[in-house]
Amino acid sequence: MDATRSSRSNSNTHGSTRYHNQSQPTGPVTDQQRVKQQFQLFQDALPKVNSLSFRALINEIVPLAMSMEKIKDNSDTNELVEQEADTNESVKKDSDSKDSIEQEVDEVSKQLDTRLTLNTGKGEASDKLIRELCDSEEDVHERVMNRVRSMGLQIGCNLTELLVFSNNPNLHFRDMDILLIMKFICRDVWKQLFEKQIDNLKTNHRGTFYLLDYNYIPIQEFAIDEDESLDASANEERLLALVAPFLEIPAGIIKGVLVSFGYQSEEISCSASFIDRPTGDKTVGVFPKGVSFHVQVTASNP
Amino acid sequence: MTIYSFWIFDKHCNCIFNREWTLSSNTNSGIINAKQNEETSKLLYGVIFSLRSVTRQLSSDSKQSDIKSISTGKYRIHIYCTATGLWFILLSDFKQQYYTQVLQHIYGHIYVKYITHNLLIPSDLAENENEKRGQGVKRITNKNFIKSLETFLAPMIS
Repeated sequence: MDATRSSRSNSNTHGSTRYHNQSQPTGPVTDQQRVKQQFQLFQDALPKVNSLSFRALINEIVPLAMSMEKIKDNSDTNELVEQEADTNESVKKDSDSKDSIEQEVDEVSKQLDTRLTLNTGKGEASDKLIRELCDSEEDVHERVMNRVRSMGLQIGCNLTELLVFSNNPNLHFRDMDILLIMKFICRDVWKQLFEKQIDNLKTNHRGTFYLLDYNYIPIQEFAIDEDESLDASANEERLLALVAPFLEIPAGIIKGVLVSFGYQSEEISCSASFIDRPTGDKTVGVFPKGVSFHVQVTASNP
Repeated sequence: MTIYSFWIFDKHCNCIFNREWTLSSNTNSGIINAKQNEETSKLLYGVIFSLRSVTRQLSSDSKQSDIKSISTGKYRIHIYCTATGLWFILLSDFKQQYYTQVLQHIYGHIYVKYITHNLLIPSDLAENENEKRGQGVKRITNKNFIKSLETFLAPMIS
């Protein structure tokens, strides 16, 4: 799924050296080492994709959700068109002269034409869709956010399957409690998706978790052309408002992972917000804020 | 070793970025995306466009050869063209023969990073049909791009 998997391969160099030693009679290999070797072989055999294209696809979820919302608006009018076509056809079927059949064909092809032009939607650019989403009304915004969140949820559910059932020797699921699952998210899920771990995990041991990522990778390059007429803080506000939808994807992923471990989706609330970096550094070309995910689990163990 | 100016053209024949340094002692001097450079940019584009077509017609090899640099009595023009129709152009003195790697780095590590991977700004600066025929006046104004370009090119100015 990801391309480099750098830190994991580091931890496995140990295992692979053991693998070479195996041919020499240095002693029997323990079960755990064999599992590690098998895991390494399995990892090497996994299909790999380019991490840049993967990240671009993850980011493209937000414009996709927005354009789906717009196409849905169009399809409401399409349904009307279809209904009209249906009534037309039923009227036409009563009279069975040749002329009417030809007319019918013409009519249907016209309908098809209009529907095609409506549905192809003139492929709008992603940046326009994002700006439109930011300026859209409350209920439209909420619908799009829900769509993004549910797409993240799907990714999260499937991702756990992939990570857990790949016989990862670092994972033990016998007595898995919520803290271990959160650690699993911070370590394995994040490494799989973004090639780094979450920087900080805070909890009160009563179902509240804060996952802090100071360099959330997919938004690092995002910046807007600053408006000269506004001051710096207004510009930053605008930037944060534009970027906020992108945080719903990882929030959905976290929720999806928890759901796939048996928690009910109503029992979990996961929200994302911007936080300041601890060092407060203003390096060039880095997103000015870190990200905090606030996870609240109300239920005890499932 | 001095560079005098740096230009980017897009596939619609528009100049989308220009930077000119006036004092070799001061890396901050000069102008960015100035209106007064509009005519110069058109001249520069024309020179490179025509010399490109000439080199293509003169090349004996079946593989299309592309122009890399043009030298005059006073300065040298370095050219790097991408398959997507972007031209990266650097004007310098005679001290260094090739700036290909520099231009490749600007494209691969600065342009792609801060312009292509930034979903919040348009990927194509020409938005309507009028701007697609060389009449666009939009420029890259992204702060991250300009800053990292300046820091990368600063050692080559003096």
